[in-house]
Order: sequence, then structure tokens, then C-alpha cells
Amino acid sequence: MGVKEYTIRRIILLPIVLIGVTLLIFAIMQFFSPVERASLYVRNPREFEHIDAIIKKHHLNDPLPIQYINWLSGVLRGNLGWSKSVNMPVSQAILTFFPATFELVIFSIPLIIIIGILLGIISAVYRDTIVDHTTRSLAIMGWSLPTFWSAIILLSIFYGGLGIFPPGRLSPAMEAVIHSPSFMRYTGLNIVDGILNGRWDVVADAFSHIILPDLNLTLVIVALPMRIMRSSMLEALGKEYIIAARAKGLSNRVVIYKHAMRNALIPLVTIAGTLTAGLITGVVITETVFDYHGLGYWAANAATQLDIPAVLGFALFVGIIYVLTNLTVDILYAYIDPRIRY
Amino acid sequence: MIRNNRKGLTALEGVLIIIIIIIGIIAGYYAYQASSRPPPSLPPTPTPGVLKISNLVVQPSRAEAGQPITVSVTASNTGGSNITDTIYLYVNGTVEASKEITVEAGKETTVKFTLTKSEGKYLVSAGSFSKVIEVLPAIKNPDTIIVATIGEPETLDPAWAYDTASGEVIFNVYETLIFFKGNRTDEFIPLLATEWSVSPDGLTYTFKIRNGVKFQNGDVLTPQDVEYSIERALVQDRDGGPTWMLAEPLLGIDVVHDTYNLTDPAVAAKVGHMIDDAVESNATHVIFHLKNTYPPFLGILAQTWASVLDKKWCIAQGDWPGWDPTYTKWVKWNNPDTPPLQEKMMGTGPFMLDRWEHGVQVVLKRFDGYWRGPAEIKTAIIKKVDEWSTRKLMFLSGDADMVYVPRAHIKELEGIPHIRLYKDLPELVVGALFFTFNISPNSPYIGSGKLDGNGIPPNFFSDINVRKAFAYSFDYNKYIEEAFLGEASRAANPIIKGLPYYWPNAPMYEFNLTKAEEYFKKAWNGALWENGFTLTLTYNVGNEARHIAAEILKYNIESLNPKFKIYIRAVEWPTFLRALVGSQLPTFIIGWLADYADPHDFVFPFMHSSGAFSAFQHYSNPQVDKLIEEGITTTNSTKREMIYRKLAVIYYDDVPSVPLYQPLGRHYERDWVKGWYYNPIFPGIYFYTLSKGY
Repeated sequence: MGVKEYTIRRIILLPIVLIGVTLLIFAIMQFFSPVERASLYVRNPREFEHIDAIIKKHHLNDPLPIQYINWLSGVLRGNLGWSKSVNMPVSQAILTFFPATFELVIFSIPLIIIIGILLGIISAVYRDTIVDHTTRSLAIMGWSLPTFWSAIILLSIFYGGLGIFPPGRLSPAMEAVIHSPSFMRYTGLNIVDGILNGRWDVVADAFSHIILPDLNLTLVIVALPMRIMRSSMLEALGKEYIIAARAKGLSNRVVIYKHAMRNALIPLVTIAGTLTAGLITGVVITETVFDYHGLGYWAANAATQLDIPAVLGFALFVGIIYVLTNLTVDILYAYIDPRIRY
Repeated sequence: MIRNNRKGLTALEGVLIIIIIIIGIIAGYYAYQASSRPPPSLPPTPTPGVLKISNLVVQPSRAEAGQPITVSVTASNTGGSNITDTIYLYVNGTVEASKEITVEAGKETTVKFTLTKSEGKYLVSAGSFSKVIEVLPAIKNPDTIIVATIGEPETLDPAWAYDTASGEVIFNVYETLIFFKGNRTDEFIPLLATEWSVSPDGLTYTFKIRNGVKFQNGDVLTPQDVEYSIERALVQDRDGGPTWMLAEPLLGIDVVHDTYNLTDPAVAAKVGHMIDDAVESNATHVIFHLKNTYPPFLGILAQTWASVLDKKWCIAQGDWPGWDPTYTKWVKWNNPDTPPLQEKMMGTGPFMLDRWEHGVQVVLKRFDGYWRGPAEIKTAIIKKVDEWSTRKLMFLSGDADMVYVPRAHIKELEGIPHIRLYKDLPELVVGALFFTFNISPNSPYIGSGKLDGNGIPPNFFSDINVRKAFAYSFDYNKYIEEAFLGEASRAANPIIKGLPYYWPNAPMYEFNLTKAEEYFKKAWNGALWENGFTLTLTYNVGNEARHIAAEILKYNIESLNPKFKIYIRAVEWPTFLRALVGSQLPTFIIGWLADYADPHDFVFPFMHSSGAFSAFQHYSNPQVDKLIEEGITTTNSTKREMIYRKLAVIYYDDVPSVPLYQPLGRHYERDWVKGWYYNPIFPGIYFYTLSKGY
């Protein structure tokens, strides 16, 4: 099968995969009875009396397939339901919170990749030496650290101790700037919009807020590309063309960076999906601790309040991103390595 | 050879000798003159300049880090001649600055130094004088108050809002006819009304509306806006909303659409007329016609659900347009899914809504045209920060001026400087242990359902001896210490401290296992003691206070008789609620927060047969119902006091529930915040009185 056919087949399968995802999540949510789900809307003891009205209003007692079809038809019309944890439609919540998360992720990915590659190369080149052991140990420690713990430690040291890198997305003064009529919101990304508006104070402020959460994400995820890079680098370094390159008298630097590294990078593409998943898991906790109101913060909050439409909407959104990332990776891989055929 | 043999002086030699003699005579003369006359008087020797330092003044003595501090001293020259000297300023014993000055004799001059110091305490000295200056942290965001808290407003519509997070925003943007006086819950000051009167029969309340008040869009407040606002609330009357508080006194009913079939146009028109007749306005006044006397009515009008809206603006937003000729179209706006004002605000209050970033923060900005004069702060931000560690760091670094501190973390802020703590603030909340008189037979928490040692019968708690035994088995003080870290007080009955007619000496149950045993032996004619029982106590997951209560009860009761078995089970909140509503829980612990500060708001849910809790308990006492109804329909305060005392005694005798705690709250703020005061009925922070500074 050619790449084109494979791509078409994957795209056709996409909705089926997504329906599977939603079915799974929907099924899990049904472990709560209608009364239980309705009682989540009760904030005041007086509202107990209105449980039946709440069930009726939210169609919580309809047969499950009907509830699912209702929900799915709503989704197809762009109506993902109402997120009671933030009091707005789920689709609007996704649009509102996505830029913050996107900003966090796009700045953390280069950090994760570059540091991961470098550590991987160092580990491979100095294989089984103290450098290798130290690098690997540190990376694994980062990977093993509970995300919330590392986040709290970073926040305590830098913000609590040194008074730098505060939580949130912007300081109140800069928030007032970006909400003023003279500031144009092009993308919702504070750094990008700051640059486009020529407001370098906004850019600097946004950077000072994004550094710690990005550092935290890097700390906990960097082991993944590092390990892949190390093993593929070791493999590459053992190849005959490397021996030939060394035999030609090329410097060690040229051999490593020009010959071995380029080939070792290919397998790294395969972890893009896992990396995405890791980042999404990471942002949920990271955003919560750093008071960085993005999709992760919203999802964590929604989950603790059993805000079912929000959880479903978030899962669907993440599912789409995850599936699309994997699809892109698979297709890219075929182009990067022409030997690969499906 | 020539020889000069002279014999005598030459003429020249003689002249020289004469000149010398003359000079000698003259010198002798002057010498004689000098020695013989008195010595000449010398000019007076000037006394040296003497510099004295006095009057060390430090301004301000409490400064902000980085803020210039002026230190001045007075240098006086008490000497006789001018003096030039150096004045040294010492800080903590080392020279901080010096100035060379010249002071004329007998004059004084003021020498000023300007310092900027980082946070700390400093001893400033000049001459022999010293003063201590305290340099405090730099005030962050001096025009803004930031509250780091949890919770998200549900709505910004005053008629819809029934939660404190919404109320906090609303009572800063909208205003009511009257407002609470200081920290009182039963005394009022005029706000949008300048004066009011109540008819002798207690059925007519007349308010004179203040002139010259403007809404934030420039519209002028009229009595018709007030009439519209209250009628709009009655028209909207959403399920589970706060409007019952207005509907009860004004319409004599609880919920409009539950009481009447509004799909029938004739009924809709009748109810429409009822609402319209209940509130009237003329050019200067608004008049409320009550169905029955209702003593807490003023307290209800002072809260967010009675906020005054701009009629013209509301209609422009698509809200209820007022009465149509048929009085039937209002039904369209009754119990709506989402009213048009969920996210918009236009009040007369000191702050305007700048933006509500859902799940993130609410930002309010100062209304410069506010009729009482603009607030001192420009911006108020209510920020949602769910993670305690983050919230704490924001507060400690000064990025938040006020913070919500969960009780479990109060020790973390002890001993930290520059934090002001108000504690032991009595909240209008009471938590109690409720007994279900008639448990649902299909309850999973009653074991065998029989008094056979393996369960309890559904009417287990209908025996008063069982209830009393349980009441005596609870170690109240230990509970308050363990669950509230001592920050709660005991309550004898639902009429808690802070409410009118609170009775400090009301009878209450004490922890007494001997008496508990005595009542257990009496219960069920001795069968209970003989057979024992097994029941399950539940609490909702995460509610540690309820868990502790269950453990205390279990420990004490099981210690009385080995046949008494109590199991404790944690269930999710929805499960807990479902079981509660379904009367499946043998006992339950739940709290009640005041809607308004009147005993009626507490005795009704706790004791009336249709009350929110007593209905689930199936507790019914006709005498109690009658007294509660009398209590709310009389305006005579002496009579009311007697009624509530009677109810307190019956509550003690009947033991339908046992109050366990009345929490004592805390308020944390940075010490640069000024103007905060506590009123237990406030839904949150009232920003108008606040400012920042030292």
C-alpha cells in the first residue's frame, strides 16, 4: 500500500476511533446514576427539592443510547454541552483555554527536544561512563518525579524564595494592557500578541510567567526523547559507515554530529505521539500548580467537580489531537525514511 | 713711609658720634615712654562655636521598601562664633550619610537626609538621639485589591444568584435599598432609599428613593427601576434560586411555577397581577405590600437578590420587558434556562464589571461616578487559584492581598510577618447531627432492618431515648478540637450566635456516657440494650470533619455495650445526597448557611415538618409548626423572643438533631490593606471601604 492510500485509510478511520473514545468515556460516566449526576448541580440544601427538575432539564434519565445520540448530535452541531465548572459552553471553554495551553506547549517542545537530544548524544558518546550514568539517572529521576511535586518545588524556590517567575499567565498590570482597547488580540498567545503589538513589556512579563511551567514540563518529559536518542545514537555509532567515516580520518565531532546524529534523529519522530500524550498529562498538573489557566487547569477542575460535559469535551479534544498527531507522524515517517512502506 | 699721626677726632667722626647719641636719646625716650604708660587693652577673644543636635524626626517612621525616608535633625550653634562641622547619620551603628554644615553663632538649621532602605527595622541615630524606623515590604499593585480564593461565580444575575461567589461580585456592583450597618445583621442604613417606614400592621413597607443616583451607564435611578427589579426577580423565580425569600412575604407562596399552573393563561394573568400589585411605585417612593407580616423582610431587601437594576438597560438586553396588557407574556421569562443577564451587569454600585474570565478571575473596576464618591482603589480582582501552595505563595509574596486559607493549613501562616489575621469570626453556619425518624426500608445502612443486633428497624430513631443516648454519647469539645482545630463554638439549637433572639443560656446536651448508657437502657423498652444494634454511618468522601464525627460517635457508643456495632462508610457526595434525599441515612451531618439573619431561616429547615432537613428526617411536631408560623407572622419582638425560646426548649426535648458546631472563621490580609470589616451575612469582600497603605 502506498503512502497515499494509507493516509486516506487512516483519515477514514479517524471518526471511528473518535467515536470509540467518546463511547468509552461516556460509558465510564454512566457509572453515576441520574440522581447522582443531578446532585452535582446542587449547591444549596434547598436545591435538593429540585433534583427531579434537574434530571429532566439535563435529560439525565433518558435511555443511555438516547443520551449518547443526543450528545453526539450536539457535538456534530458544535454543541458539546455546558461546563458548569466554568459556567460556559464546553466548545467556548475549549476555545478560551486552548491558546494558553498551546503557548505553554509550543515553548516547551523545543526545550524538551533540544535538551533530550543533547543528553541522548552525550549519554551515547560517553556510554557506560560516569557521564552516561549521571545523565541517565537525572533524566530518569525527572521522569519519575510526581509532576505536582516538582512544580511545587520549582515554584517555592523561584517564586517563593527568589521572588521571580510568578504564577499565572500575566501580572495584573499587563492583564490590564492586553484587555485594553488599544491592544489587538490576534492569536490569544500573549507572547505572540505582545510582539505583534510591539508591547515588549507584555512579552517580557509573559515570558517570566511561562518559564517555570515550561521548565517543569521539560523536567518531567525530557527523559523520553533522551532515551530514544541514546539508543538510536548507540545503534548509529556502531554502523559500518561510521567506522568508515572514522577510518577516513574525520574528526570525532564531525562523525558524531554530521553522520551519526542525523540518522539517529529519525526514530525520534516516532515518539511525537507519546510526547503529545506526556505533555497533555503534564499540563493538567503543571497548569494547576502554576495557576496557568489553560485546558489542563480547566480539565483538572472539571474532573474534581464531576463536570461531565467538560470532561467529555476535553477527552474528545485531546483524542482528536492525539490521533491527528499519530497520523501525521506515520505519514511523515514514510517520507523521512523512504524504505518504510505500509 | 707715610705716617698719620693724628691727635684728636675729625669733624666727620664727631658728627657720627652726635647722631648716634641723638638716636640713643630718642630710643631711650621711647623706651621710657613704653615702660611708663599702661599696657594697651587687647580686643575680646571670641568664644568658639558649639553645635548641638536635637529634634531627630523620621518621616515616615513606617515606610515602604524603596520609599524615600526623610530624616531631619536640628543643629543649633550655641557658641559665640560661626561653626563649620559635619553631621553624621548613623544607621544601626554605622555611618549612613554625612553633611558638612556651617551655622552662624546663635542660629540653628535643619539638616535633612533622605534614605531608601530595604525591608527591616533600623536604628537611626544622629548626635545623641535615636529612633527606630520600620521598613515594610513594598506595596504591590497599590491601586488594586487582589483576592486569591477558590470558587467560581455561577451567575452575575442577582435574581439567579444563590451562591456566595456570585454574591460577592453582585454586592459590589449592584446596590439595594438598604444595607447592613457595619457588622450588624439586624440594623440597616439607607442606600438607594433615603428613608423608609413600616405600617403599624407590618404589611406595608414604603421607601423613599434617593435622588441623583446614576447607573454605571449614566441612566438615572428611578422608583420604577426598583419596582421593576423586584418584580423581575419574582417573574424569573428559577428552580432552586433565591426568589422564595421575596415570594414568601410578597406573594405568600414559595415558588411561583410550583404553586400555579402557569400554562393556563387565566392563571398566568392572575399571578401576574399578584406580582404587579405586590410592588408599587410613584414619582418618589416604592411601596411593598406583604401578604403576611414578615419580620426578616428588611434583611431580605438588604441582600443581593433584591438588587436594583436599570429597567431600560435590562429590556435592551432582552430581559423581561414589563407587564403586557394581558399579564400573560411574563411566563416566557419564568424559570428560564439562561437569563440574559448571566454575564452582564449594570448597577449603581461603587464598582463596574470589567470582565469575567470564566474559571480564572472576575475583574471589577472603579465607577468614578458613584454617588457616595469613588472608591479609593481602582481595581478589585477576585482570582480563582485552586492550588493552596500557589495561593499561599502569592499571598506571601504580596501578589494577593487577601487569601482563602483552608482550615487544615492555618498553621502554615502562623508567625509570618506582615500578615493581618482576624480570627474567631462567628459565621452564620451551623452543622448538626440529624436523626432520621423513619428510615427508608430499602436503606443499605440499616443492616437486617430489625432490632436483632444485626441492624436497626427503620423507626429506630423515633424512640426519643435513642436520640438522647446518641446526643449524650458525642464528645463535642473533642470534636471541635480535632475537626476544627478548636475554631468553632458549640450551639444549643439552630438559633445560633449572631442571630436575633439568640439565647446564650439555652439548654444543650453535654458529653456524658453515664447518661447515654441510662437512655440506651431505656430505649425500646430495654430491647436495644439486650439485643444490641448495627448501623452504618456515612460521610461524603473528603469531608474529614464528618469522618471525625462518625469516628467519635462510633468509639463512644461501642464502648458502652459490646453488642453495639457502628460501621463507617465513606461515599461520594452524590451518593450521600441521594441517600439523604431518599431518607436512607440513619443519621447525617450537614451544615446550614444563613440566607438572612433571622431565626426563621434556621428553625424552618431544622424543625418544621416541611423544612429542608426535617422533611427528609420525617420529623413532625404540630406544636413546632404552629410556633414557627407564629414566629414569622408577628412583628412584636418580645413575643418573637418568647416563641423562639419555646422552640429552643422543644428542640432540646425532642432532639430531632443535635448541633455540633458553629464555625469560627478567619480572615487573612496583608498588613497594607486598610478598611476591611466583618459582617457575617456578607457573601464576600466589600471593596468600597478598602484601600492600601501603611
